[in-house]
Amino acid sequence: MTPTLEAVGTLARTGAALERRAFLRLAGALAAAGLLPSGCRGVPERWAPGPGTDLAVLSPRGYATCTAAASRLVGPEGAALIERRSVDVGRFVDAFLARTPTVAAPMAQALAVLEFGVWPLLRKGWPFTSLDGRAQDVVLDDLMRSRLEVKRQLFAGVRSLAMLAFYSAPESRAVSGYPGPFGSDAVPIGAAMIGPHDLW
Amino acid sequence: MTSPSRLEADAVVIGTGAGGGPTAAVLAERGLRVVVLEAGPYLRTDDFTGDEGAMTARLYRMSLSRASGMALYAGECVGGSTVINDALCFRPPGEILAEWRGRHGLSGLTDAALAPFVDRAWRDVHAEPTDRAHASRNAERLLRGARRLGWSGSATPRNVIGCANLGLCNLGCPSGAKQSTLVTYVPRAERAGARVIANARAERVGIDGGRARGVDAVTIDPATRRVTARFRVEAPLVCLAAGALGTPVLLQRSGVAAGGGLQVHSSVHVTARFAEAIHGYYGPTMSYAVDELADVNGRTGPGVMIESVSALPLPTATALPGFGAEHETRMRALAHYARALVVLRDRTRGRVAADGTVAYALEPGDVERLRAGMAAAARAYLAAGAAEVLLPVLASRPLRTDGDCAKFAARPLAPSELALLYAVHLFGGACMAGRDADGVCDERGACFGVRGLYVVDAAGLPGNTGVNPQITIMANALRIAEGAAAEARAT
Repeated sequence: MTPTLEAVGTLARTGAALERRAFLRLAGALAAAGLLPSGCRGVPERWAPGPGTDLAVLSPRGYATCTAAASRLVGPEGAALIERRSVDVGRFVDAFLARTPTVAAPMAQALAVLEFGVWPLLRKGWPFTSLDGRAQDVVLDDLMRSRLEVKRQLFAGVRSLAMLAFYSAPESRAVSGYPGPFGSDAVPIGAAMIGPHDLW
Repeated sequence: MTSPSRLEADAVVIGTGAGGGPTAAVLAERGLRVVVLEAGPYLRTDDFTGDEGAMTARLYRMSLSRASGMALYAGECVGGSTVINDALCFRPPGEILAEWRGRHGLSGLTDAALAPFVDRAWRDVHAEPTDRAHASRNAERLLRGARRLGWSGSATPRNVIGCANLGLCNLGCPSGAKQSTLVTYVPRAERAGARVIANARAERVGIDGGRARGVDAVTIDPATRRVTARFRVEAPLVCLAAGALGTPVLLQRSGVAAGGGLQVHSSVHVTARFAEAIHGYYGPTMSYAVDELADVNGRTGPGVMIESVSALPLPTATALPGFGAEHETRMRALAHYARALVVLRDRTRGRVAADGTVAYALEPGDVERLRAGMAAAARAYLAAGAAEVLLPVLASRPLRTDGDCAKFAARPLAPSELALLYAVHLFGGACMAGRDADGVCDERGACFGVRGLYVVDAAGLPGNTGVNPQITIMANALRIAEGAAAEARAT
């Protein structure tokens, strides 16, 4: 079982939860049908895809929502990497969903709900990408702590997507301290193995 | 690839994993002309880069049970799931064989009858004990906790030669140490003359007059997975090893009733933080298992195995609670985390439909057993000195004391609260049985009512095994293949 697939497992559970909720499917469907804005109009430039970014699954709005959410979810040092586009979360998520069709539709819906959902479903009255960081944190915190299972699943799915995108990037090793797949001078593989006094 | 529209052979084998690999080798070495079809790509050791995203996309297939949100995974490449498993080797437990004899009428599946094939598979894939040179600190933390609690557990045998402790078993072993069927049975089959066609998906078995006549198949573009050509393999012997997600589908598309009896090992993970650095991202992905709570091999627990597993950045990030600065602070301690899988022998049964849809709704009793397993894993880590243990339960708090574990073990847990639920050990869907009313094939693996058609993979097993299943699947495939080869030569 690879780490990517563990994240997909979480996304799958979010997808299943959304599939059981007609009103959430509706929000996703409205966005897909163009009844809610999906382009970049009204999206702050800091979250919008760069010129020439070719998206396979996500709309520009979905890209922006995903990027904005990730920058709050991964923490301040990670957010700086995302805002500098050293880690392009939106592009990674788009490519990932393109090759994982099982979860692509429900996760695109989840992002649409996060962007356009308003009170009483989400603690906001405006699109997620238009909020400042503190207000975005309030929305995410409310989802995480909600007594409603579907809101917690929505949070878990978006969070998994963000973690998947961010921690798959080699640049994120600056945050986690992960030395890379084949060891490094600083942390050789031998450092992970038991010593003469350990049990076995 | 360019493929002729029609091939002739004595036998066609669908799949190259733990079932198909041994079958192809036996049939070819017994002198049959064998064609092997594999839906996934034919990657070699040099192709395994350790790049998680790329390797996952090339080696895996996924299905989703919409009823439960459970994700089901299998390998889809030459070597099948043996390329992406953790290399753990267990003999089939006696209790499981007894259950198959008693409940499913498989009277010939005795320990003594299967033992020679188990021994043979064990040798063929070089299963060997995991020694100190391949023991990680990550695994040692679980061992330490089990010892302090007086629990049963042991280092697990693995099928490797010269493991380099890279921790990349699930992404295709870049050192070639893991003895998957890709580097054992498949090359043996090829040396004996078998032709392996990768990126070729079987569509249906040709059945005429109650006899298998061959297989209709398509070739697939490995990049787009689109169909590029159609062809047929004419053969009087057809052996199905497309896995529990594939074999039942193929049978149903061929007009054979199948798909029932699907069973899995439901899995969740537990993460523990220690004061000292462990570097759990390196070392064998799995190498130690606690069987105190198992219900096989003489144990009488709830049916849970707790197995150490590597702690790479991404699953750890997913496992850690919260978000923002709090989460980032926790991630800086990555080197300090150990992880374990809680693997359940489910009682639940599900179904695979002809379109590949999976229905598998976890029974409440299985959820309770998973909860017991998570609580036990947490206790073991705390006994080993962990500062805290994190569970994949939405909005749950870290466990820091035995009291926390006891509270968690006693609280109600709904399946929907699990942040993650998945399975990689998949069984059934085309089960062996003593009579045709109860299954798809008899204990020789021969499909009821269709001569020359055999099920040789985990789809034929009548239930889950309670332990990592590759050796059981290989041994069963060797047993069936020897019988099928003898019958083919006689006719």
